[in-house]
Order: sequence, then C-alpha cells, then structure tokens
Amino acid sequence: MDWQGQKHSEILMQILLVVFAVVAFVVGYAIGSFQMMMLIYACGVFVTALITVPNWPFFNRHPLKWLDPSEADRHPKPQVTTAASKKKASKQK
Amino acid sequence: MHSFGYRANAVVTFAVTILAVMCSLASLSDNFNVPTPTADVKVLNINWFQKQPNGNDEVSLTLNISADLSSMFTWNTKQVFVFVAAEYETPQNALNQVSFWDGIIPSKEHAKFWIHTTNKYRFIDQGSNLRGKDFNLTLHWHVMPKTGKMFADKIVMTGYRLPEEYR
Repeated sequence: MDWQGQKHSEILMQILLVVFAVVAFVVGYAIGSFQMMMLIYACGVFVTALITVPNWPFFNRHPLKWLDPSEADRHPKPQVTTAASKKKASKQK
Repeated sequence: MHSFGYRANAVVTFAVTILAVMCSLASLSDNFNVPTPTADVKVLNINWFQKQPNGNDEVSLTLNISADLSSMFTWNTKQVFVFVAAEYETPQNALNQVSFWDGIIPSKEHAKFWIHTTNKYRFIDQGSNLRGKDFNLTLHWHVMPKTGKMFADKIVMTGYRLPEEYR
C-alpha cells in the first residue's frame, strides 16, 4: 500500500465506522431493538475491515517514483566517513 | 497503517471506541423515558401473629399484589427487579424495612402482573413492637439496563395496621 493509499484507507475506515454507528443507533432506537443496533454495527465493522484492511489494488495508484541507479550514481551521497577520519588524523598530530 | 496488522488493529480500536460511545448514548436515551408505574397491594389476611420464644414478633400475611410496570421498559432494559417491603418505625429505629416478596420481571410482556401469595420471606421484628403497629407497604424497583445507568425508585402505600393481639 502506498502513502496515498494509507491515508485514504485510514480516512475511509473512520468515515465508514461512524456512518455505520449512526445508522445502527438510529435504526435500533427507532424500532426499539438493542439487538438490531448491535447486529447492524457488527456487520458494519466487518464490512469496514473488509474494505480497508486488505491491500486492495485501488490503494496502490500512487507508486513512489525512485531514481534509477545510474542517475543515483551521478549524485553521490555526502560522505560522513571523511569528516571522521580527518578528526582522527588531527588528533594523531 | 503500513501493514495488514496495523490496519486491522486500527479498525478494531476505533470500532470499540465507537461502541462505547453508542452504549453511553443508549444509556442516556433512558432519561427520555418517564415511567408511570401503578401498584396496589392488599393484605387479605393475617394468617397468624405470634411472639417467638426469644421475644421477637412474627407475622404471616396473605397478600395480593397487582402492578403495571410496563412503562419502565425501554429498548435498553434488560430486566426489572421488584420487591415489596414493609416499612415501620420503632422506638429503637426510625426506619425498619422487611422484604415480603420479590421478583424479576424479564420483559415488558410480563410487566403487568397480579399475584396472590403469603409473605415469601418471614416478617419478624427484632423486638415486640408489632402489636397495633401502623406500617407502609412499599414497592421498590431497580431497572437494570443492558448498558449504562441503573435506575431505582419506589411507590409507598400507606394505611396498613397490624392487630392489637397475637393470634
């Protein structure tokens, strides 16, 4: 799952759960059945988990663009080791 | 949110948090219900009334209890516990309570009832204060919800009197 996918999955999870909770509570209160509220909410949690937990393809639409290796070779990382060795050298003097 | 396990954990955690909120709201919704129960207890007969060898008074009564508690039931009610107690004053104690009968009402369908019974628990005074004693019969109830706050209240019925003599 890419970065955008993770963000979408989290927002989707929160919205879905709140919507299912509201629907469950309103229906349960309207027909006077606590059991129905729990049943609707349990189904809602299951559906939410099914949608947001597995790594579905639509969470992978924004892949990271890495530099290819030849491009990376032309911009070498700053070497930390050189500074350390210089220090060592100066101490020995 | 980068792995299956983290996402599953996030869903379950948030779901349980919302569940707690829903249960709190269900409990709060009970406050909109204003119960109007009715109750009537008749003492049909004093079966016997005696002084025990240790000096305590004991009475056996036949009661007729009728009540309609169906207005207590809401969608969040598990059951109602109800008991009838005699309440009277003695020189030693400002309030004595003796339970005569109790019951558990499991549903609204059983909330309108009528029962003819002798006292289920023995009516014994700690002392010999019961001759000619005026007492109240009080119907107490505890509404036990599926989630949240428990409610308790009572109906006091006055004007009962025990006989002057043992029999």
